[in-house]
Amino acid sequence: MSVTVRARGLTKSYLDGARRTEVLRGVDLEVEPGEMVAVVGPSGAGKSTLLHLLGGLDVADGGEVEIAGRRLDGLGPAELAAFRNETIGFVFQFQELLPDFTSIENVMMPGRIAGMPVDELRRRATELLAEVELGDRLDRFPTQLSGGERQRVALCRALVLEPPLLLADEPTGNLDPRAGERVFELMQRLQQSRGTTALMVTHNPELAARCARLLRLEGGVLEPPGR
Amino acid sequence: MSRPPRRPSAERRPAAGVALYHARRYLWSTRRDAYVTFLSATAAGGMALGVAALILSLAMLSGLQQALKGEILARTPEIRVTLPPDADPAAARRSVAAVAGVREARLAAGGRGWAVAGGRARPVELAGFDGPVPETFPGAAGGRPGLYVSERLAGLWALEPGDLVELASSRPALSPFGPLPTVRRLRLAGVFDAGRTELEERVALPLADARELLGDRELTLLVSAGGLQRARRLAPAVSQALPAGARVETWQDINRALFFALRLEKTLLFLAVLLIVVVAGLALVADLSLIIASKRPELGMLGAMGATPRTLRRVFLWLGGLLVAIGGGCGVALGTAGAWLLDRWRVLRLGEAFFIDYVPFTLRPADLAAVVAAVTLLTLLCAGWAARRAAALSPVEALRR
Repeated sequence: MSVTVRARGLTKSYLDGARRTEVLRGVDLEVEPGEMVAVVGPSGAGKSTLLHLLGGLDVADGGEVEIAGRRLDGLGPAELAAFRNETIGFVFQFQELLPDFTSIENVMMPGRIAGMPVDELRRRATELLAEVELGDRLDRFPTQLSGGERQRVALCRALVLEPPLLLADEPTGNLDPRAGERVFELMQRLQQSRGTTALMVTHNPELAARCARLLRLEGGVLEPPGR
Repeated sequence: MSRPPRRPSAERRPAAGVALYHARRYLWSTRRDAYVTFLSATAAGGMALGVAALILSLAMLSGLQQALKGEILARTPEIRVTLPPDADPAAARRSVAAVAGVREARLAAGGRGWAVAGGRARPVELAGFDGPVPETFPGAAGGRPGLYVSERLAGLWALEPGDLVELASSRPALSPFGPLPTVRRLRLAGVFDAGRTELEERVALPLADARELLGDRELTLLVSAGGLQRARRLAPAVSQALPAGARVETWQDINRALFFALRLEKTLLFLAVLLIVVVAGLALVADLSLIIASKRPELGMLGAMGATPRTLRRVFLWLGGLLVAIGGGCGVALGTAGAWLLDRWRVLRLGEAFFIDYVPFTLRPADLAAVVAAVTLLTLLCAGWAARRAAALSPVEALRR
């Protein structure tokens, strides 16, 4: 289950006081179905911004994003939300687990938003958590888990609905090297076993090198040009 | 080979279920934050206090108004007909008595006069009646024709049945010595209960004597339909049976000004006490706004996972609704139980100066429904206003650290 991701001429700028800062200056990108692409670049280069635009979390100033042939710029807020729910799994640097919900409840959340049957969701979430060796942490709250465990829960949550696209923003950035390595391995394994298209933003050149393709974002453009 | 994603279908999402799921969890989880807990308790407690105060004050006013209405209606004819000057009173009485549903129709005469006994005089309202004493004279209703004064006047003047009382009217009678007041001397037949609401002294006397004193210009027809609501329904038929120019008034028409004042009093009291609930509603806005601000990253993550702005708005509508349901529920229980206890044990005693001995509490379903409706509307407004902020959050802004 995978999709093609295309971006053409993406531009984005922010107002910094009275000064306008151009973050993306015409990014072109194409990711093939099932491909895992790493995007690296210095801090402030716009890596996260690119990920947010691809995920429909933010709106570009110019250019277009197309996922599986569907352009995101034509969708309203509710349609975009539904599209994200059905198509994209997100993993962020700071996990962003919901602190009021247990591990399994966090993993089940995208399905609950989609209105799926709870029993089916619970079965899927339990299997996924067992797959990342958290079968004995189902009823723990995020505060009762280590950083690596929290990130593994976040990974399960991103994949529970088997989305065709996984977007990861510094998924190991907040973890020690050992925990980071483990999370990356799991992510790669789950991505490959499901054939999910994945785009990962990272500062870690070693992890980036292990992806199928490596892109560098610098000066607001991708190097080499995204295919 | 790329798999086309399913078409986004925000409309078919059961947002209410997941919204309630989150709201219930937030309701308990926010207890961990002392400030949020304080604000939540203030909102729910204020709501409880406001609802209880509304229920108690409305129940008290309903009780008082019901007692007052009972006192007044006991002395008010169900239907009163004022005949035109050229009408034949006996024929009009027969026509009305023949109307289906009319239990009784009797002629009556009323006007101003004086009662004199033992060298003392007092202005009175003369009420002449035909046949036995009418029901508008409680305590003497159904008694034989004769003169009846209030227990109060009898006590004041030490009158006993059989004593002579002079009644004088303002209608002059011509005599060789010029105009003189018309006077009738009648023996006291009994007394009636004037209650504590009658400020004006009434005197009941046989119709023939009243007509002597007042003439026929003050003649009316008192109609009984056997119930207040029946009287309202019967009034048009009574009107049709009468000659043109006759004026038919129901007990409602007679007391229209009083009933309007009572309704106005209740409405104003409701609005004044509702202010407590409004203040609690503002505390609810502050509470929800604080929760929304403290949960920004989570709301951003929910947005990233596909929660629509509508779902996020519903989360906080539900949360506000739950807080108000807890507070309002306590308020309803407190107010209802309080009203019942205060009425059952007659806790609030009144002195002799009042028309009743204690403050009665009557909780009417319509009042309770009005309180619940007002609180629900206010909750929707307050929670809805706060929840708009959650719906307006951009996921990327909310996720930004």
